[in-house]
Amino acid sequence: MIPLTRRLVLAACAATLTAPAAAVAAPAIGQPAPVFRAVDADGRTRSLDEFKGKTVVLEWHNGGCPYVQKYYNAGAMQSLQRQATADGVVWLTLVSSGPGTQGHLTPAEAKSWKAANKAGSTALLLDPDGKVGKAYDARTTPHMYVVDKTGRLVYMGGIDDKPAADPASLKGAKNYVAAALADLKAGRAVATPVTRPYGCSVKYKG
Amino acid sequence: MIAGRVLNVLRTAAAAAAALVMAGPGAAQGFGQPKAPVFGEVDTGHLVADLVPEKASIAPGETIHVALRQRIDKGWHTYWRNPGDSGEATQIKWTLPAGWRADDIVWPAPDRQPTGPLMNYGYSGEVLLPVALTAPADATPGQTVELTAAVAFLVCEEICVPEDAVLGLRLPVAATPGGPHPQFGKTVAAALAAAPKPAPLTAVFAREGEALKLAVAGAPLAGADFADAYFFPFDGTAIDHAKPQAIERGPQGLTLTLTPGYGFQSPTPPAELAGVLSLADGRAFEIKAQAGALPAEAAGLGPPPARAPPAGGGGELGLIAAVGFALLGGLILNLMPCVFPVLAMKAAGLARHAHERREAQRQGLAFLAGVLATFLALAGLLIALKEAGAVAGWGFQLQSPPVVAALSLLMLAVALNLSGVFEVGTSLQGAGSGLASQRGMAGAFFTGALAVVVAAPCTAPFMAPALGWALTQSAASALVVFLGLGLGFALPFVLVAFVPGLLTRLPRPGPWMVGFRKLLAFPMYGAAAWLAWVLTVQAGDMALARLFAAAVALALAGWMAGVAQRRQAQGGRPVLAGSAAGMLAAGALAAAVWPGYQPASAAAAPASAADIPYEAYSPERLASVRAEGRAVFVNFTAAWCITCKVNERTALSTAEVADAFRRTGTVYLKADWTLKDEIIAAELARHGRAGVPLYLVYGRGSQDGVILPQILTGKTVVEALEAAAAG
Repeated sequence: MIPLTRRLVLAACAATLTAPAAAVAAPAIGQPAPVFRAVDADGRTRSLDEFKGKTVVLEWHNGGCPYVQKYYNAGAMQSLQRQATADGVVWLTLVSSGPGTQGHLTPAEAKSWKAANKAGSTALLLDPDGKVGKAYDARTTPHMYVVDKTGRLVYMGGIDDKPAADPASLKGAKNYVAAALADLKAGRAVATPVTRPYGCSVKYKG
Repeated sequence: MIAGRVLNVLRTAAAAAAALVMAGPGAAQGFGQPKAPVFGEVDTGHLVADLVPEKASIAPGETIHVALRQRIDKGWHTYWRNPGDSGEATQIKWTLPAGWRADDIVWPAPDRQPTGPLMNYGYSGEVLLPVALTAPADATPGQTVELTAAVAFLVCEEICVPEDAVLGLRLPVAATPGGPHPQFGKTVAAALAAAPKPAPLTAVFAREGEALKLAVAGAPLAGADFADAYFFPFDGTAIDHAKPQAIERGPQGLTLTLTPGYGFQSPTPPAELAGVLSLADGRAFEIKAQAGALPAEAAGLGPPPARAPPAGGGGELGLIAAVGFALLGGLILNLMPCVFPVLAMKAAGLARHAHERREAQRQGLAFLAGVLATFLALAGLLIALKEAGAVAGWGFQLQSPPVVAALSLLMLAVALNLSGVFEVGTSLQGAGSGLASQRGMAGAFFTGALAVVVAAPCTAPFMAPALGWALTQSAASALVVFLGLGLGFALPFVLVAFVPGLLTRLPRPGPWMVGFRKLLAFPMYGAAAWLAWVLTVQAGDMALARLFAAAVALALAGWMAGVAQRRQAQGGRPVLAGSAAGMLAAGALAAAVWPGYQPASAAAAPASAADIPYEAYSPERLASVRAEGRAVFVNFTAAWCITCKVNERTALSTAEVADAFRRTGTVYLKADWTLKDEIIAAELARHGRAGVPLYLVYGRGSQDGVILPQILTGKTVVEALEAAAAG
């Protein structure tokens, strides 16, 4: 009986340690995008609500991930960001890496990273406890979402159709985010609303 | 630190590669710098790669396999063709002489690699990725060709590193097909043999609400072990990789409950679900499911028995341990309230023969035989029911209202007999001591049988793992476990009869025995009353009226039989009274058993003893409550289960426990198994149990529930709830 009880206790401890975050209903196309609050590189709390009436792009980011580097080192992500913000789109870059994991940034690090990489996003938001990432079911870096002016999710998935880390794969790739933004701008329904996200896994806090 | 270094290296490498791509179209697209091939092993950083051939040579027109071998550093992994939630599949780009052809990779079945909330599919350790290579018909024998493969793969641990290599292989062309390669022939052949293959299987998928059901059926799956079966989709958007795949077995296949992936949110949802079905026995099948009606032969047998239940379950018991537990459980069963009345009867019999040693021994053996025969009969019936596809568990006989009614009447009849209303076999009195002895043996056998039938509701704590184990094993080992149980149960009486000295310690028979016997009638009346209560829970108060009418008729029959017996003892021939008594008793029994009972409506069910608000259990309710992130306590119980009722009165109805439920916000779900319920039986089986009680506590978001002991204390419950709330 004693070993049995001990096993039960051990099992209970193990369950406590490995318990993942509570399951949340996955976001769905056409449904209101989950609202969130997160601190930006300047230490200000930002929320999705403040961008109501504007198209918002969410980009999940990890500076150490080869797939993210493919886009940033070639300047492709920055030009996409500039083009979008020039059209009045809000571009939020989110970092959901937990403290001590790859890609984690403190507000100060985030600021210098933005400057060094000439990032063109509206804000870089820090989500070290992974709450925002899990609300969106963000799985990879990059993982892209587009929210329309009414606050509904109209695109989620990969950044393009070439799931590779090789920089050569940028050439000839169909960029799904650019396509979704073009559809919205022209007043059309987004032609490809869901694709498979690709990249590194989001390094959520353990 | 390491991450930073890798990051820098990567930046440089990526920049160099980018510069190269821009340099012109001459660069090998997708594989960076065109390097000279290495004929042998290349350490790319986190794995060692090389090309290994199935044969030492190739003949003109022949197809052989050449495998890319990856020996991956411990803790790192590469990916399958669908890498899952992140990652990237290994790619091979061949440079071959004119006329030579290389096909796609023959992907081995991958492993599941959960990382945090995500799921990846890939390989660790050593993996061979074979490729079919065909030589042209006009290849020149005697020549040696150089095959070049530019390979690129993502290797991940916590972080991911893209690595690549250009590998070369020199392969001689021989005039005729040669034998296997001396060093790699066997390994490549083994990889090919283990690779998933198409099979004569029917695969169908259907959307059912939020779920995606995938049914696979066919001869290769008949009787297979489906524990741990898993579907790996080829398409990365078909299913939510990280969600568990619930397994339902069928006689000819299985049905998996999947969570649809992104693809099903698209305006053009997948028309086909293709991938690999992998089984725990190492077999893997390539399947291509079409939308349609799910085949019946792929479902209906519940989930597979738990292979390794979370803790305290019976899944890992060996036969000897199970028999040991069963023996101990049987012994303890003697102390359980359910059997007490019957044992009281047995004790009365034993006291009568306490000082006739041989008679006592004979009766002890007859009792043992009765116990064993009944255990075997019940176990045989249970196994047969399971074989026939019914989901039944221990105690199943008490789930049928007619059986409960009949047992209640039987208890009443035994009680009336003990009270002296009528005798069993008195009419034969004086016909010789031989016959009297036979009569005693029949009585002992019957007592043993009766004890087993009423003992079932008191599944003793030691019996639960043994029975749970037994019902997942072959019929033969299950029966051995049940025999052990019976032996343990009968052991005290057999010992008393056979161990010299024990018997003589019992008081000498005398007139006191008449009084003792009448006293023992009262536990039997109690047993009859208890079974009547069980019947009301099962079938409502109308059933009680019917049972009481039958009980009164039976008592009248008993009295009439007694009158007839007394008249006969005085030399009369009371044929009329005797047969009237028999007919009345038979009529009472028939009226109690037939026609069947209507199940009690939910509203008529008596309220719980505990003042903790609870909800009825269903797998869906459990899933939805857990999805809300709340802790859950599940109580698997039944009205006929005394242990359950004792726990509910003592441990689950205290103020501390009620307070703990409120404080932790734990949801209390009650799975009532009083009547036959396949869903509950399947859930019990999944936790290695064959009966109730079973208490499970699910923490916030924890994968598996924690099993609490079968004898609960308030303290255990409070601690478990607090642990669950913290998790």
